[in-house]
Amino acid sequence: MGLAWSPDGKILAVAGVSGPITLFNGVDGAVGHKLPGHALDTMAISWHKDSRLLASVGQDGKVRLWDAETGAQRSEMAGGASWVERVGFSPVGDWLVSAAGRKLRLWNSSGQLVREYPDASSTITDIKWRYDGKQFAISAYNGVVLYDPTEEEPLHRFEWQGSTLILEWSPDGKYIATGDQDSTVHFWITDSGNDLQMWGYETKVLELAWSFNSRYLATGGGTQIVIWDCSGKGPANTRPIMVEGHQHLIKHLKFQRQGMLLASGGNEGMLAIWKVKKKKPALLADAVFKAPIANLAWSPDDRCIAVSDESGTLSIAAVLR
Amino acid sequence: MNTVETRVPVTVLTGFLGSGKTTLLNRILTENHGKKIAVIENEFGEVGIDNDLVIGAEEEIFEMNNGCICCTVRGDLIRILGHLMKRRDKFDYIMVETTGMADPGPVAQTFYVDDDMQQKLHLDAIVTLVDAKHIWEHIDDSDEAKEQVAFADVILLNKIDLVAPEDLERLEARIKSMNSMAKIYRSRDAVVEMDKILNVGGFNLDRALEVDPKFMEPEYPFEWSGIYQLNTGTYKWVMGEGPDPAMGAALLPLANTGLAAKEATLMDAVLTFSEDEQALEAGEMIRLGTGQYNQLVLNENGETVFNFAIQQPGFYMLFTEHHPDEFDARLYGAESVLDPLETREYKPDHEHDEEVTSVGITLPGDLQLEKLNGWLSQLLREQGQDIFRMKGVLSVRGWDERFVFQGVHMLFDGRPDRPWENELRQNKMIFIGRNLDRAALENGFRECLAS
Repeated sequence: MGLAWSPDGKILAVAGVSGPITLFNGVDGAVGHKLPGHALDTMAISWHKDSRLLASVGQDGKVRLWDAETGAQRSEMAGGASWVERVGFSPVGDWLVSAAGRKLRLWNSSGQLVREYPDASSTITDIKWRYDGKQFAISAYNGVVLYDPTEEEPLHRFEWQGSTLILEWSPDGKYIATGDQDSTVHFWITDSGNDLQMWGYETKVLELAWSFNSRYLATGGGTQIVIWDCSGKGPANTRPIMVEGHQHLIKHLKFQRQGMLLASGGNEGMLAIWKVKKKKPALLADAVFKAPIANLAWSPDDRCIAVSDESGTLSIAAVLR
Repeated sequence: MNTVETRVPVTVLTGFLGSGKTTLLNRILTENHGKKIAVIENEFGEVGIDNDLVIGAEEEIFEMNNGCICCTVRGDLIRILGHLMKRRDKFDYIMVETTGMADPGPVAQTFYVDDDMQQKLHLDAIVTLVDAKHIWEHIDDSDEAKEQVAFADVILLNKIDLVAPEDLERLEARIKSMNSMAKIYRSRDAVVEMDKILNVGGFNLDRALEVDPKFMEPEYPFEWSGIYQLNTGTYKWVMGEGPDPAMGAALLPLANTGLAAKEATLMDAVLTFSEDEQALEAGEMIRLGTGQYNQLVLNENGETVFNFAIQQPGFYMLFTEHHPDEFDARLYGAESVLDPLETREYKPDHEHDEEVTSVGITLPGDLQLEKLNGWLSQLLREQGQDIFRMKGVLSVRGWDERFVFQGVHMLFDGRPDRPWENELRQNKMIFIGRNLDRAALENGFRECLAS
């Protein structure tokens, strides 16, 4: 289940695996528009900065733009392959990027194609914008490629002979962290192109979360949360903070947008909220759901967290301070 | 401790272009078997298939680490299967079709190497379709064809209407020599009962041993024997051109056509084939009896005729290093061609190192798990690239349950299965691969017994 709060916090968009997208009122939880979404499966959703336009992609090969106020579809575009897996609106500009297989396409918010890039070397696994919208990065087998949306040629290629599955920019743009199929985490230093490799994870790593101040990177890839401290000289040759508590594999990690609370969701259905600090993080709250946690999303004001589990239950928990 | 299997079964379908994969897939999708099957086919499928749950995949093969080919997996499959598992309610079975030229290794390894895959899916069987007519064009020199046969749990000899029955026998014998673990079925137009290929249960080692007595049969230095009833007189053995410039042969007397007599002569033949060979050229006399190992040297062109004389009328058994059909060889009496009363084909003793074979080992007693682990990890480190598949049902000291495991190259997955109860506790193991040294494998395995 995909979860995305509109930037103004008024709407929570929920994309079910069966296809439809439901818009809930972010304040009282009332059901608003139900968008048809994508036949078979909606794979990703992303909000425009104005909180009115929602982009979605799915297994019908389409990129769709929806008007959240009226519930009407504004545009329908071809993603370039049968499954469109990733979509991302720029946090500041008017751009939207989509990835379908090896096809990378840049659109404007009216749904016009701005640029089609040459095919990536392998299926694109993730797309993320830098905080200022001046760059975006894609990951695939062989690492990360960095783009400036105004240019056709990539800015940099950060190469790794392995399958990179997910990427997260540090909020200050200094690092790009990746999680890889070969059970590694990488810190690419964007200025120099240097790579710090972190080995020793139990499984592939699909869970990465930066704290808002870019100091901590929380990672999953096992039953323990592994937190790297990037202050000072950085995480190289340091011992990470290891957090035990989950019985099964951790599936989701999300830091608050402006605070130091970290939410973790596991395969056993446990949601835990941790306060992250230099020494041992403290467990503040936990709750057990009946199925593995499917997704987590903090509200923009950090007061609530939306949680979905694989049985299809959606909950919104308020975090008291 | 029988655990209920909640993982979704996956069948991997391999086979060369034109072997009938698409026909079979369409049959599977339309036949009324009560299963909802999701199909992952390669993006360049031979023929389109119309079904909601058909997903195109691009063969993205990548290495897990260190560039070791034993750890190559299909990245596209991991991703597609991961997404599919979120829609678990829509299907209860998955089929993965590979391209004709695909090496099944990376596909099979995908199910072992990734944690999510192991938790949610299990590889039920690798089903390989073989075009019974055209496979001969590939089986000797195409690694992909050999690997597709070697990796299979089930082999479907398809298009049997296009080949003669004896060619089919020969093909089946050849395939069994490469992979004695697989169940082999014959089909026309890929018509096969669904329970032969779906939910096979993967682990059919027990059955393979029961059903196929040839499985544990020793390897012989000859491939064929024929029994003839011969009177006093002279005979001609005529050979055409064949794959080799010469062929070994022995002609031995047979007391009668009873089983005991045949076994005795068979043993004599094994001894004879271990003697020094005596080269014979065209027109020379084939020597009779135990210890007389004839090497029939062929003319460069055309037919070559060898003679022999029979003084003692009775049954004789002719053993040949290769199948006579390969040389279009036949025996002439005074007037006409003589047909053997009965023939037998043997599992050949492969001299070529590159040949794909299977080695099955049965060992009574209990194993010590630490020793087994040590041996297997060393074996796989040294020979993992050549060992395609490995299966076993083991009796481990201190365990009440049978321990079953199977592996692909260097990856393996083992778990306790049902209790032994009254069954004889023993260890059965089979390796399929290249350059397999039976004696070394047997010794290594025996060393793992608890003392």
